[in-house]
Amino acid sequence: MVSRVDVPKGGFNFDNYQRNLILQEKGFSLPKPTKTGTTIVGTKFKNGVVLGADTRATGDTTVMDKNCFKIHYLAPNIYGCGAGTAADTDKITKMVASQLELHRLATGRESRVATALTALTQFLFRYQGHLGAALVLGGVDVDGPHLFSVSPHGSTDKLPYLCQGSGSLAAISIFESQWRENMERDEAIELVKEAIKAGIFNDMGSGSSVDVAVIEKGRAEVCRGMEVPYPTIQKVDSYKFKPGTTAILSESFRNFVTITEGDAMDIS
Amino acid sequence: MTDRYSFSLTTFSPSGKLVQIEYALKAVAQGVTSIGIKATNGVVIATEKKSASSLIDDSSLEKVAVVCPNIGMVYSGMGPDFRVLTTKARKAAQKYKRIYDEYPPTGILVKEVASVMQEFTQSGGVRPFGVSLLVCGYDEKGPGLYQVDPSGSYWAWKASAIGKNMVNAKTFLEKRYNDDMELEDAVHTAIITLKEGFEGEMNEHSIEIGVIGGGNFGFGPGKEEPVFKKLTPEEIKDYLANIV
Amino acid sequence: MSGKNCVAIASDKRFGVKYLTISMEFPKMFQATDKTFIGISGLATDVQTLMERFRFKINMYRMNEERDFEPITLANMVSSTLYERRFSPYFVEPIVAGLDKNNNPYINGMDLIGCSTTACDFAATGTPEDQLYGTCEALWEPNLEPEELFETISQTIMSATNRDCVSGWGAVVHVITPERVITRTLKTRMD
Repeated sequence: MVSRVDVPKGGFNFDNYQRNLILQEKGFSLPKPTKTGTTIVGTKFKNGVVLGADTRATGDTTVMDKNCFKIHYLAPNIYGCGAGTAADTDKITKMVASQLELHRLATGRESRVATALTALTQFLFRYQGHLGAALVLGGVDVDGPHLFSVSPHGSTDKLPYLCQGSGSLAAISIFESQWRENMERDEAIELVKEAIKAGIFNDMGSGSSVDVAVIEKGRAEVCRGMEVPYPTIQKVDSYKFKPGTTAILSESFRNFVTITEGDAMDIS
Repeated sequence: MTDRYSFSLTTFSPSGKLVQIEYALKAVAQGVTSIGIKATNGVVIATEKKSASSLIDDSSLEKVAVVCPNIGMVYSGMGPDFRVLTTKARKAAQKYKRIYDEYPPTGILVKEVASVMQEFTQSGGVRPFGVSLLVCGYDEKGPGLYQVDPSGSYWAWKASAIGKNMVNAKTFLEKRYNDDMELEDAVHTAIITLKEGFEGEMNEHSIEIGVIGGGNFGFGPGKEEPVFKKLTPEEIKDYLANIV
Repeated sequence: MSGKNCVAIASDKRFGVKYLTISMEFPKMFQATDKTFIGISGLATDVQTLMERFRFKINMYRMNEERDFEPITLANMVSSTLYERRFSPYFVEPIVAGLDKNNNPYINGMDLIGCSTTACDFAATGTPEDQLYGTCEALWEPNLEPEELFETISQTIMSATNRDCVSGWGAVVHVITPERVITRTLKTRMD
C-alpha cells in the first residue's frame, strides 16, 4: 500500500500544535480554512427525502469555490449535506461512507440511516465540537424515509424538514410558510429549490446554484446545478495579450519523448 | 528428523524448507476446487459450495467475497482463515481509498493481502493461513487475475485452479483457454472445468460464481467502472441450463 | 490556470520575514510527475518540509504501483496528508496543476487542512490571493493556447504581485502541454 515508513497511524497528528501556538502568539496569522458558509436543507415527502444545497465555498469573505458540491455520498441510499468547515464535512462524510461500505459487506444488508447517524455523531462527539461539521442527513432504508440533522458537537434532530448553515434562517422561512405533509415528489423539489434560493439571495455566505438530491426507495438521484439563478455573464470581449508581451529572463524546455521503436524490455 | 524442524515455523529445516508452509499448502490441496479465468473483457471466479450435511442451510455459506467494488476473491482451504483475510483485504481497500479517493488496482490489493500472508509465516505465535486465494479485479490496465498462496507468494494468471482437483482442472484449462475468450465464454468454461471433478449433482446451489466486467458498470456517485458481482442462483441456473 | 489541452502554474520567487526580503530565488513549485506540478505557498519551513514529504510519497507511489500519479489522485493524496494534521496544520496552501492521462487540464487549490477545490478555470493562493483572483477573473478566458496561456498567467501574476508589497521579486512560469513543459522566468519589478 503506502510506504511502511510514512504510514499514518490513524487518528489525527498533533505534532505541530505547540509550534503553531507559538507562531500565532508571535503574530504569524493562520491561513483561513475554507468554510462552506452555506444554505443546506432537507425535507421528507410522500415516499422519500429531498436534500438541497447551494454551491458557494468561502474563505473569510472571499468566494473560494463558485461551484462546490455539498451533497456528500454516504451510501447508495443515503446522502448528507454538509455545512461548516469544508474540509471537515468532506472528510467526515468520506470516512463514514467507508465505514458504511465495510458494514454493508460484512452484513450483506443495505445501510440504515440510523447507522450513518450514529457513526457521525459518535465521531463528532469525540472531538467535542472542534470538527466544524454540521450536516443534514437523509436517506431511505428498510424503515422508510429518514431525515436528521447533526450539529458539530454531535447532537441530533429528527424533523420532517430541516435547514442548516448561515442561510438556514432564510431557508426555514420558506419551509415554515409553505411546507405541507405528504407532498408529491415534484412539490418537494420545488420547495427545496425555493428554500435554497432564499439562502442564495439573502445570505452572503451562500450563493451560485442549487444542487438537489432526491432519494426514494431503491433510487437516488443527484442533480448538480438544478437551478442556476444567476448564470455567469460571458465576457463580450477578449483580453488576450499578444505573444511576446511579457519580458522573459530565461527559458527552458523539457520535451516528452515517445519511444516507438525497439523491443520491449525483457522482464521475465 | 523432520519433526525437529516442524514445531516452529520460523525454523528452517536442514533442506532449506519451512515445512509448516508446506503443510499449509496441503490444507489447501484438500480444500474444494476453485477456478479463475481471465477473459478479454472481464474475469470469472468460481468454486464448489458443498455442505457436509443436507441439513445445513447453505444459503448462509459464502465462499466468493466482494473486497471492494472492483475486486472480488475466492479461496480453497480453510473457511475461517479466509474470513480473516477478507476482513483484512476490505480494510486495506478502504484505507487506500481514504488516502487516494479511489479503490486500489488489483495488483496493489493483491500485494497487500500477500504481505499479510507472508507476515504469518515469520511472526511468533501464529500459523500460516490455510488458504490459497484467487483474486480478480478490473482496473485501468484491464482485467486481472491473481493467485496468492499461504507463503505469501503471488502470480498473475490467465486462468488457474486451486484446491483438490487443481492438477486436472489446470490441464483442462490449458486445453480450453484461448487469448480472445470473452466473459460469457469464460463463465461457461469455468463451470465445465468445475464439473470435471465434481462429486455429486451440480446445481445453482452447489456452486458459487463471481464475475467482473462484461457490462456490469456503476457503483458510487458518477462512476462508470466495472463492478464485481456475485451471480445469483437464478443466473447460475441459466448458465447451467445452457451447458447441459 | 487551465488552457486548451494545457495548464500553466506560476509563482513569485520572494522569501522574506515580514518586510525584510531574504531570498529572491525561493522555489515554491516542484515537478511531481512528468505532467503535474505542485505549488505551495505559506510558511517557508512548511513549504520545504511538505515538498520533501510529497516527493517521498510520490517516489514511493511510483515504485509501489509502477505508475505515475494522475493529477487528481495526487491532489487527493495531498489533501489527506494535510487533513491528517487537522488540529496542528502546516501553514500552507498548495495548488496541484497538471494534465491527466488524456491530456485534460486539472487544477486543484487547497486550504491548509486539505479542503480541495477543483476548478475548471484557475486557482490562486498566497498573500495576494484576492488580487490574484481579481486579475484571473478579468484576464482568463476558456481555450487558451499554450503561448496565450503563458501571457495571461504571467500578466496575471505580475499585476497581482505588484499590488502586494510582500510578493514579487521575480516569477517563474511552467506551461505544461502534451508535448513539453516550458519553463520561463519573468522580468519583473524588483522592489
